[in-house]
Amino acid sequence: MNGSIQVEHLSKTFKKGGIQAVKDVSFHVDEGEFFAFLGPNGAGKSTTVQILTTLMNATTGTAHVAGCDVIREPEKVRRHIGVALQETGVDPDLTGREMLELQAWIFGFGKKEGRERAMRLLEIVQLTEAADRRIGRYSGGMRRRLDLALTLVHEPAVLFLDEPTTGLDPSNRMAVWEELRRLNKEKGTTIFLTTQYLEEADSLADRISIINDGEIVATGTPKELKARIGSDLIALTPAEGEDSEQILLQLKAGLNDADVIKKQEKILIYVEEGTRQLLEVARILDRENIQVEDIQLSSPTLDDIFLKITGEGKKSDGE
Amino acid sequence: MGSNVWRDTWLMTGRNIKTTLRNPFSFIPNLMISAFFLLVYEAGLSGIAQLPTFDGANYLAFILPVSIVSAAIGGAGGAGQSIVKDIENGFFSRLLLTPASRLAIVLGPIIAGMLQLFVQTLLIIAIAFLLGLEVKTGVGGVLFVLLIAIGWGLAFAGYSAGVALRTGNAQAAQAGTFIFFPLIFLSTTFVPYELIDAQWLKIAAAINPTTYIFESMRTVLIDGWVFWDMMQGVAAITIVSTLTITFAAVSAKRAVSRG
Repeated sequence: MNGSIQVEHLSKTFKKGGIQAVKDVSFHVDEGEFFAFLGPNGAGKSTTVQILTTLMNATTGTAHVAGCDVIREPEKVRRHIGVALQETGVDPDLTGREMLELQAWIFGFGKKEGRERAMRLLEIVQLTEAADRRIGRYSGGMRRRLDLALTLVHEPAVLFLDEPTTGLDPSNRMAVWEELRRLNKEKGTTIFLTTQYLEEADSLADRISIINDGEIVATGTPKELKARIGSDLIALTPAEGEDSEQILLQLKAGLNDADVIKKQEKILIYVEEGTRQLLEVARILDRENIQVEDIQLSSPTLDDIFLKITGEGKKSDGE
Repeated sequence: MGSNVWRDTWLMTGRNIKTTLRNPFSFIPNLMISAFFLLVYEAGLSGIAQLPTFDGANYLAFILPVSIVSAAIGGAGGAGQSIVKDIENGFFSRLLLTPASRLAIVLGPIIAGMLQLFVQTLLIIAIAFLLGLEVKTGVGGVLFVLLIAIGWGLAFAGYSAGVALRTGNAQAAQAGTFIFFPLIFLSTTFVPYELIDAQWLKIAAAINPTTYIFESMRTVLIDGWVFWDMMQGVAAITIVSTLTITFAAVSAKRAVSRG
């Protein structure tokens, strides 16, 4: 058994409404790799996870997880994967300990072994004190941690996490990140994580695929993705009263059709050599007599990359 | 370690019993209503047993099947309720992600519901004995009544689990249990068929399978071992449970399928 994921030309069209949620997606994840699927709501992330975790069939294409075909050998796949879906899957009438024990027994461990595993995992996710309280009385963060513990009971080779930190406060989010890093580093668990947070993918993943509207639009290490669109970013804020559409056109013309986009009140220019281009930008601004409030040179964040690749303004920056 | 249907079913059933017991309000109201039927109808209506049509039968024995069917349907409905709860909590998906037998995942709550029904029926019969019930056919008759209750409960459990698996929605499942009222009351609930006055109610009672369940229970409680009268109930159970369990199986297949 290995902990890799291979996906070839995967597509999913829902019978209801005929919506194509996943369009000819191909990628592979090596054993022990931390891989992130980054995209906005409705990009097809969860659908992909549901197919890879045997909850849903693909319309076309193939996928192998831990060496097993997810379509033809779902039972085998289930033994090797741990899955935390967007919504936690816990029974509020059981205690955290009972829930973990049940999960261990379902995976075929004996009575005693199940108890021990439950105890150990409760410690890891710091729920020992709440172990015998009913889950119905847990906070959102505690439920999320328990949910994560549930996915680890059988020490899976591959871990699927669908937006594991959505709705968590910063301290709980950090705790989950720490745990995921530890699992990936110490146990060599392959991790497939979906997220809407660029910061999350950037900070955790070895490699990222950006998915939008059911298609993978870019794949690479965080570094590669940053390099792909130019190493530098000039961000300028026009002074009040300036016509930013006009400035956009003037900059595009003056910079040989460089990548210039508008993001809210800012104008972003993706360039190779920032310092040289900054002077050029300043010249254009001066020549056209454009007033600016602020101008900055920096490395692009994944947020900027995302904006550029998907070509659409996200509703807000950095939630 | 192949998936083991028996072991998984055992685990699922145990867990469902545990959660049912932790939610006493999931069964106490139904049990109270069933006991209430028995006490109030016996107290208020027992005089009509003087009518010649009753042929000297004890009204307590006549009304007991109503209370039993009410308890059985309520207990069996618990199966559907716990399935809906699991679907809404995401726990159902969590189970589908494990190697647990798909059959066991669906069977667990149904078996737990059947056990709940069994206990509730026993309690109702015990109350009836405390009120002075006499059974013409003795212990064997009580066993037959229990069997009919379980059979009818199974038919209803199939229906409630089917609705739950199909909709996965508490409101829809709740609406589904509304069938409880016509099922119990559009029948020979209070008086024998001959004494029903309204023509529409006579027609409804003739169509309602519960009528035949009441009939077969009343036969052993009041008249004795009258084979063909007893068989009415058995036939009703066979027909209805075949339909509802097929419905449940198809719905279950859809709920665990990966379409």
